[in-house]
Amino acid sequence: MEQMKPKKRRGTVWRRLKKSKTAMLGLGIIAVIVFMAVFADLVAPYPYDIPDATAIFQYPSWEHIMGTDDFGRDIFSRVIYGARVSLVIALMSVTISIACGVTLGVTAAYFGGSYETVIMRLLDGFMAIPSLLLAISISSALGNGQLQTAIAIAISNIPTFARVSRASVITVKETEYVEAARSIGARNGRIILKHILPNALSPIFVQATLSIVNAILTIAMLSFIGLGIEPPTPEWGSMLSLGRAYIRDFWPIVTFPGVMIMVTVISFNMLGDGLRDALDPRLKQ
Amino acid sequence: MELLQVKDLRVLYTTEGAVVRAVNGIDLSIRPGEALGLVGETGAGKTTTALGLLRLVPDPPGRIVSGEIFYQGEDLVKKTEKQMRAIRGNQISMIFQDPMTALNPVIPVDDQIAEVIRLHRKCSRREAEREALRMLEKVGIQAVRAHEYPHQFSGGMKQRVVIAIALACDPKLLIADEPTTALDVTIQAQVLVMIKELQRELGTSMLLITHDLGVVAGTCDSVAVMYAGEIVEYGSLEDIFDHTAHPYTIGLMDSIPSLDQDVERLKPIPGLMPDPTDLPEGCSFSPRCPRACDICRKQSPPNTEIAPGHFVRCHRPETEKEVASHG
Repeated sequence: MEQMKPKKRRGTVWRRLKKSKTAMLGLGIIAVIVFMAVFADLVAPYPYDIPDATAIFQYPSWEHIMGTDDFGRDIFSRVIYGARVSLVIALMSVTISIACGVTLGVTAAYFGGSYETVIMRLLDGFMAIPSLLLAISISSALGNGQLQTAIAIAISNIPTFARVSRASVITVKETEYVEAARSIGARNGRIILKHILPNALSPIFVQATLSIVNAILTIAMLSFIGLGIEPPTPEWGSMLSLGRAYIRDFWPIVTFPGVMIMVTVISFNMLGDGLRDALDPRLKQ
Repeated sequence: MELLQVKDLRVLYTTEGAVVRAVNGIDLSIRPGEALGLVGETGAGKTTTALGLLRLVPDPPGRIVSGEIFYQGEDLVKKTEKQMRAIRGNQISMIFQDPMTALNPVIPVDDQIAEVIRLHRKCSRREAEREALRMLEKVGIQAVRAHEYPHQFSGGMKQRVVIAIALACDPKLLIADEPTTALDVTIQAQVLVMIKELQRELGTSMLLITHDLGVVAGTCDSVAVMYAGEIVEYGSLEDIFDHTAHPYTIGLMDSIPSLDQDVERLKPIPGLMPDPTDLPEGCSFSPRCPRACDICRKQSPPNTEIAPGHFVRCHRPETEKEVASHG
């Protein structure tokens, strides 16, 4: 008699993610924005930094679909180039802060004892400094530039990730399946990576999508006070800040960068929610 | 030779100010192929004993303060953490009480079985997976369901998976910590019979922890009755059930409802287990004991062998004569 074969593995994260319409919409929008950012030179109809005194403050038209700004630069082109800067810095800073924060938080929760006390008190100290102030001081110490800005934002976000992941791991590490993993002779590293972390991910994911939003806004703030990204490099936040003088008389200059920030943020949130659900097989179907 | 011999094992939990004496000098031994039942109320220290054998007592707050655990002649208390890891799941493995929480919810069941095989045997992923399927079929789960997640199984099926994990590496000793307590009564018998059959088939020794004397009678060769961290009576199944000597064991037997006698009320043992942070002086059962006298309240009773292999920790054990006179 032929032995029955196990059913095909249906459990991959991607297959489950595909079932979520909102997650796929979010992913689609992010893909479009990333595509435009990568191929900005081809997509953008105008250069982002050449002023045109004959075409300032133009409302959206077929020539300039998002209008032009106070220097006569095409807003659409600047938004596309701005995606490069905003997205790269935001993603870079969130990656760095997840890598450091989650490592610290997870190990602190898992090993406990004086190791945990030292790490968490140090991070509490960090949290006592307002994060904007911290970002400003780190950014002014490191200087302008994309990497420097990303690091400055990342450092100010590390304590948040450490706290969120620690809280989540503390509940998971007491579960019986972690004890069971120990009882079959698994090493600490294996227990953390295979048994604890996958079960502790959802709050970390939520925090990550929120942090992308925050990062984009912090970049804007840093650029506004002259740290962060230097003009004329376009960046959504700085476009907002610079355009705020004309907010009452000429709406396109702040609306389009603002809409871009909003769309990006919502897309990341939708993708993050879907990803969180897809990683948890209990929520399937 | 004994497979496992525990001598004077003591485990303490230190919490804010208070010291909980969870296990107070127990002696146990298990021969190859033997099934020993460890019986006692909630809080008697049964689970702590089990975790102690695997050196898995959470530290802090728990600590093995003294005692020896000889496994195949080697003292587990003296082994390093690395040596213990090679033993856990491979030589000695454990079945947990609640199958609902003992499986990782995000990993398919066959992977969870394959994990223990991969940890202890040098084999490829494919071989481990094949072995996992074999184990699943052995515990009565069809291979078609191998890639499913724990939440897709019923409680009894989950416990079968837990058993498959425990037996995957062909351990010499299986510690089953109340394996049927969390299950439906109709499933309990099935799971017990399966554990018993697999244990016989594989020649595994077993330490079965339970509070159900009926389970012990059906599964075990010998019995240890635990009360407040001590083993108060220890002997063969026959010794304990037919020649019951310790007042606590008698109380346990009496509190089992009988099918052939028509009684209005159950006969519980009066009182509660003593507070483990503040054990009474003398015999810890004396406050609840119907036979207690002055010496019981002052002096801790010694462990006496009243018949070959039948140990009782009591100043005034019930003798055969009395049992006869009860009629």
